[in-house]
Amino acid sequence: MNGYLGKLLRVDLSHNRLWDEALNEDYARNFVGGSGLAARYLYDMLEANTAPLGPENPLFFLTGPLVGTSMSSAGRYSVCARSPLTGLWGEANSGGFFGPELRYADYDGVLITGKAEQPVWLSIIEGQAALHKAGDLWGCDIYATQTRLREVLGDPKVRVACIGVAGENLVKLAGIANDHGRFAARTGLGAVMGSKNLKAIAVRGTGKVPLYAPEEYRVITNRILALHKEDYPTWQYRTYGTAGGVNVSHMLGDLPIRYFQLGEYAPADNLSGVDLAEKYLRRNTACHKCGIGCGRETQSPAYNDSKVDGPEYETIGALGSLLMIFDLEAVIHAGHLCNNYGLDTISLGVTIGLACELFERGLLTSADTGGLEIHYGDAGMVFHLIELAARRQGFGAVLAEGNAALAERAGVPELSATVNRLEIPMHDPRAYLGMAVTYALSPRGACHMQGDMFILDLGQPNLGEVGLEPGDRHDNTIEKGRTAARLQAWRNLYNSLTLCQFENPGVQPLLEAINAATGWGLEAEDLITLGKRIVNIKRLINFKLGLTRANDRLPDLLLKPLKEGGAAGYVPDMPTLLAGAYAELGWDINSGRPDEDSIL
Amino acid sequence: MAIKFPSDEWIKELSAQLNASEAYAQAAATWEGDNIFVILPDGDYPDTTYFYINLQHGKASDARQLKSLDEQKALFTTSAPFNTWRKVLEGRLDPIQGIFSGKLKLVGSLAQVQRTPKATYMLVKVAAQIATDFGS
Repeated sequence: MNGYLGKLLRVDLSHNRLWDEALNEDYARNFVGGSGLAARYLYDMLEANTAPLGPENPLFFLTGPLVGTSMSSAGRYSVCARSPLTGLWGEANSGGFFGPELRYADYDGVLITGKAEQPVWLSIIEGQAALHKAGDLWGCDIYATQTRLREVLGDPKVRVACIGVAGENLVKLAGIANDHGRFAARTGLGAVMGSKNLKAIAVRGTGKVPLYAPEEYRVITNRILALHKEDYPTWQYRTYGTAGGVNVSHMLGDLPIRYFQLGEYAPADNLSGVDLAEKYLRRNTACHKCGIGCGRETQSPAYNDSKVDGPEYETIGALGSLLMIFDLEAVIHAGHLCNNYGLDTISLGVTIGLACELFERGLLTSADTGGLEIHYGDAGMVFHLIELAARRQGFGAVLAEGNAALAERAGVPELSATVNRLEIPMHDPRAYLGMAVTYALSPRGACHMQGDMFILDLGQPNLGEVGLEPGDRHDNTIEKGRTAARLQAWRNLYNSLTLCQFENPGVQPLLEAINAATGWGLEAEDLITLGKRIVNIKRLINFKLGLTRANDRLPDLLLKPLKEGGAAGYVPDMPTLLAGAYAELGWDINSGRPDEDSIL
Repeated sequence: MAIKFPSDEWIKELSAQLNASEAYAQAAATWEGDNIFVILPDGDYPDTTYFYINLQHGKASDARQLKSLDEQKALFTTSAPFNTWRKVLEGRLDPIQGIFSGKLKLVGSLAQVQRTPKATYMLVKVAAQIATDFGS
């Protein structure tokens, strides 16, 4: 089975059972890997009454066919389950080295069910899996957990995926960390891991991924790596990280400010990735075989943080401009706290942002918060709230349920900044109208990684061969809806290859790499067909879990025009954009439902 | 009357219009860097043409057509074929989109470009207002 190890590790925590299961070759051929392949498996396992934090919720760690090979930036893994935050399909993915190491340890993925009686951790070393008591790890932050497991196993090359205190406390904004501070952050899957009493998975191996045409694969992956030498986005990501986009994003009205209600505010330029690099960067970091190296290791002397992972653009927005905090060091520190506790910075930032807004409007008072005064621009309060949320202490227990729950509790659901209960990331759909489709139809709720129209319309990926051309970011047309849906299919393919979305060699080189790895003999349009099939199966899972066409919407807050900045005056025309998207994906215009045959 | 592009007259007109633009002065208040623009040959234009313009704190100076790149060094060099420049000046290609897609090849201080994108944006906006003759 070229491109695959052909094997899953099954773990039943309730019965302390571990066994190998052959990877379903037919599923792999049709759903590739990562979140697509997980969706195919979970389509049969998830039911409307599956409790997200119950033992019956399956938790799937999966890689893709290029992971652990010489392909640049193919070092990611996906985690999938029913989300405790949204109640719908949950997926998150992360870079680093954990995914490749899992494959070197002889597995394509790990499917976990049940719940351990006591906290445990799982080791997978050279094809041998075992469960261990984790009592002394419970309560450790993500860094200490990783360090201690490497010490226990006596091997500094062991890679660990783990939860922090937030996941242990079933905080619905908890993610899963690996390779220091890399995160499968979104949809609360850290809480699913916590609900199973599973603290960590440690992997190590020296195996190899079988390839269909190893020499051809070597040649094409070398060529892909070389493309980075003259690529402007690579130059930007390598030099300034994802934070390098802050100023352009601000200029275009894409960077959310003051809980999505200000389109431009001069101090936001203080959060520049250039300043981050010039003042606080310790070194760049890179994932497995990455030709870019966008990762940041920074410091914030003012807060005595000598080594911090990030912050990424998303963290700078969510814990910075959104909350009217324009001090980079404070944002670095807030991001570091979230990393330590194992929290999704986007979801928590947007939830704290709502708390600030509710306070401004008098809809939340210190009587509701245990005496806390929560205001925009108060970095010290944000640090405190992060800790409270991670520990579910006091008002933190409210924040731990997420933005939508807080809006409902305050009686103002219209102030929620979520789609399908997942907090909106730091790309305003009024700046790139195609993002309205991405958010409204994303299988996991508001997610910028399910169709990055802000990148396509900025001109980055060379995808003309599959009908994806950059356009006017303010087009409010059927065609824009079609493009956004098609891009969603393309990025769902990426999330199934578990390939980094900054790796954009163009269609033909990617196609050659996939074919040389797997021997599938695909053509360009087949990639879109695969992507659409993956979008559709996730959509069908969501229908099974209660989603309807009425869920395909943006929150009211983002349908009001901004008064200033590069997005001023624009709002997405949802009926038009969605009509284009439904047509592209072949969904029924009335029910929004894909044809069941589309996943065969 | 429309000014021929590319020509020495055109780059001098850009300089004059930048100096007359309050919006550019504001957007580029922190910009420090001289520029060379390279217009490369394509099907509609047979030559390679070089423009130099010095841009400092929202003001332009020393704008002129160069005979070759040996004549002048600059902090930034931006190169593209004639028709790509035409698309930019006619508003059919967003300059940021052009840079990200590699259609406009930029060499120089990335820090300046990333920190003050408005300066680039406004420069193109002013340039697009010049009545320009691109030939047939």
